[in-house]
Amino acid sequence: MTWHLLDDDIRAYAARTLAAPALWSAEAHLAACGECRERLAATATVDMGWALDVGWARLDAALDAPRPGPVERLMVLVGVPEHTARLLAATPALRLSWLLAIAVTATLTAAVAVLTDPVVFLAVAPLLPLVAVAMSFAPGIDPTYEIAVVAPVRSFRLLLLRCVAVLTATTALSTVASLFIHGYGLRATSWFLPSLALTVLSLLLSTRLGAAPAAVVTGVGWAAVVTATLGDRLVFTLAGQVGVAVVGGIAAVALSRQRGTYERYHVPNLTRRVP
Amino acid sequence: MTAVRATSLALRYGRTTALEDVSFSLRTGVTGLLGPNGAGKTTLLRIVATALPADGGTLRILGHDPGTPPGRLAVRRRLGYLPQDPGFHPSFTAFEFVDYVAILKELTHRSARHAEVARVLSAVGLDDRRRSRIRTLSGGMRQRLALAAALVGDPDLVILDEPTVGLDPEQRLRFRELIADLGERKTVLLSTHQTEDVMSLCQEVVVLDRGRVRFEGTPSELAGLAAGRVWTSTQRQAGALASWRTGTGLHRHVGDPPPGAALVEPSIEDGYLTLVGAATGAEAPATAGGAR
Repeated sequence: MTWHLLDDDIRAYAARTLAAPALWSAEAHLAACGECRERLAATATVDMGWALDVGWARLDAALDAPRPGPVERLMVLVGVPEHTARLLAATPALRLSWLLAIAVTATLTAAVAVLTDPVVFLAVAPLLPLVAVAMSFAPGIDPTYEIAVVAPVRSFRLLLLRCVAVLTATTALSTVASLFIHGYGLRATSWFLPSLALTVLSLLLSTRLGAAPAAVVTGVGWAAVVTATLGDRLVFTLAGQVGVAVVGGIAAVALSRQRGTYERYHVPNLTRRVP
Repeated sequence: MTAVRATSLALRYGRTTALEDVSFSLRTGVTGLLGPNGAGKTTLLRIVATALPADGGTLRILGHDPGTPPGRLAVRRRLGYLPQDPGFHPSFTAFEFVDYVAILKELTHRSARHAEVARVLSAVGLDDRRRSRIRTLSGGMRQRLALAAALVGDPDLVILDEPTVGLDPEQRLRFRELIADLGERKTVLLSTHQTEDVMSLCQEVVVLDRGRVRFEGTPSELAGLAAGRVWTSTQRQAGALASWRTGTGLHRHVGDPPPGAALVEPSIEDGYLTLVGAATGAEAPATAGGAR
């Protein structure tokens, strides 16, 4: 060792007053430096003996902690905090099987659109995040739903985290699929705003209906609007996109005002499961 | 210290009354919640766990009102809950699952959180399975894993909904050791069908029947309800509330004894039958090894 802990830091560590990040640095150094461990042992009184135990327990746990999976590692790599990545790794719609299903659906829809009409892809792509978000928070799909409901972590924060992650994943997949839509120019990306608007609208409705019914109602409404305006494809024109953005914006404001609903413990789907 | 005080709790689902005028209190130690299927045990546990609101009555948990957002948050920070059907992410390892629950419980500092995860896994005897995928764990191990998740953060109130269901005798004994140890320092509310669990673990017992509290007291007081109403004979006897042949070959009866009957010491199960069995004709709580 070319350096050693300062006496003040050792005393602070023993007295449990050393704050992070100096605490982490001290723990890492103590694990590797026998001389500093001896100095700590000499400093710590009998009552302070716990400090070493706590330090070693933390070190043991850090060494024994399993390596995160690829999705978690990727999230940490792009800057997502470690604990947030672990929360997101439990999102059902972010499992590899779900992502594959979404990728296959997007690809098939793009193929049909290429063979028939691009509007098929534009109409279906916004439904993908809608389904994925519903799958991310619906009772019966998230196996730890009941544990999460009574956890102190804010439900609305958890919901938004999962939505952002799911939207990011589905948007990336749909973007790749839309590259195959030729001759439609920028209009090939006109599924994006409806994706956001439908997701926010669905979240707003879920405060009253529950996640899955809200997604169904929103999806049916979207299908009705697209069908009704199919002649001039209004939704995918500039005016239509502005309209979609306005609806999405209003829904976002309303959702923000309704966020307290998620912190209440009224969970319709849970109460129905009670015998 | 009283950790939970419930007064006249009520809950209805449409026309169905799930709970009505439910009052009880919980102190440090293990309290058993007994009752036939459909009595409202899980509903009551969910209310105390802040997963459901009551329609009426008052509830104080650890000095807080769970009906208000700040009160509910304060309760949730000191609560451990093992649901009847604890869900797992099967692709997670045991460590990852408990780590996930620890994050839900606001433990964000990585090394401190991992130390806590290691502590609870060690407490339930899953030290050597921390790297195992949950799908590879046995039913008993999964149940212990769920308990480990409930114990993260050293909660003051622990709610366990039928934690010993599906466990073999050895696993059940190990589980009892864990819960008994917990009950020395914490308030534990344990829903169970096993009268052996109540006998061996609980200082207090609450019997719920058709949404109402029928009994609140000690296990010996529950057994005492059948004092003078349990007897044995060499023949099966009609008219008894319950009657079965025991392993000794004698028939054991609960009900109104005939003159000259050979009365025996009642058990908790006898008391439970006296209290609930006659009124509902409902199934009795199971015994682990009883010949019924």
